[in-house]
Amino acid sequence: MATTIEQLDADLVDDEAVRVELPWQAIVWDDPVNLMTYVTYVFQSYFGYPREEAERLMLLVHHEGRAVVATGNREAMERHVQAMHGYGLQATVARAEA
Amino acid sequence: MIVAGREGGADGVRIVLETEEAMLLSELADQVDSVLLLGGDDDPALGRLIPNAYPDDATSARDFARYTRESLVDGKRQAAQSVRDATATERGSGIVEIELDQAQAWDWLTFLTDLRLILAERVGVVDEEADEADEQRDDYLRAAYEWAGIVQGSMLEVLDPMAE
Repeated sequence: MATTIEQLDADLVDDEAVRVELPWQAIVWDDPVNLMTYVTYVFQSYFGYPREEAERLMLLVHHEGRAVVATGNREAMERHVQAMHGYGLQATVARAEA
Repeated sequence: MIVAGREGGADGVRIVLETEEAMLLSELADQVDSVLLLGGDDDPALGRLIPNAYPDDATSARDFARYTRESLVDGKRQAAQSVRDATATERGSGIVEIELDQAQAWDWLTFLTDLRLILAERVGVVDEEADEADEQRDDYLRAAYEWAGIVQGSMLEVLDPMAE
């Protein structure tokens, strides 16, 4: 019984209709120009993240090369990415991985 | 150059520049505005200022650019013009005192970022057989790049990101 239900769940995730429900992400990428203090400042000011969270995300960008700064529907992610571009940050929109 | 808080704990920042520094910033603001206004699609410096939001999806990238590029460029031009207006000064007048509210400070921060992105791109394109003139120009660009970073860093020490 358990095996059948697990298989069913896996089939649902592969189904295109369900994939559309998966959220989108706004991703900020590292670049050699922007000051770490500036990136932190943007995350605090624009997203309203507390300082610790903003710094955590900034360090993620700095060390990993990229960080997901927001998750949600596609329109909202595009707005965030547009804002990031306005601040001079490199940012992209991507579908969240299943 | 002095960067400090404003009187009475007001938001924003106060910047005191020597006339030469103000004139340099004004000149750089003009140049950034030119890149935004005149840069062609093949200008890599302009490419740094207008990133591709969908690098793996050409159709979405095109749609996104169509909706956002114009207002992005306009916003950056406004920031550059704001800096140019604030730094307009008479030659030889000694020092220039500039008061910026929070919104104007944002203009300066984003302008300084755009400036550094452009300068980094220009200096990065270094001809192996650069002649003396090119090397001097690159030294100048690097110096401007470092200085813009110092101005921006100093402002960030004073500004409160949570101020309205």
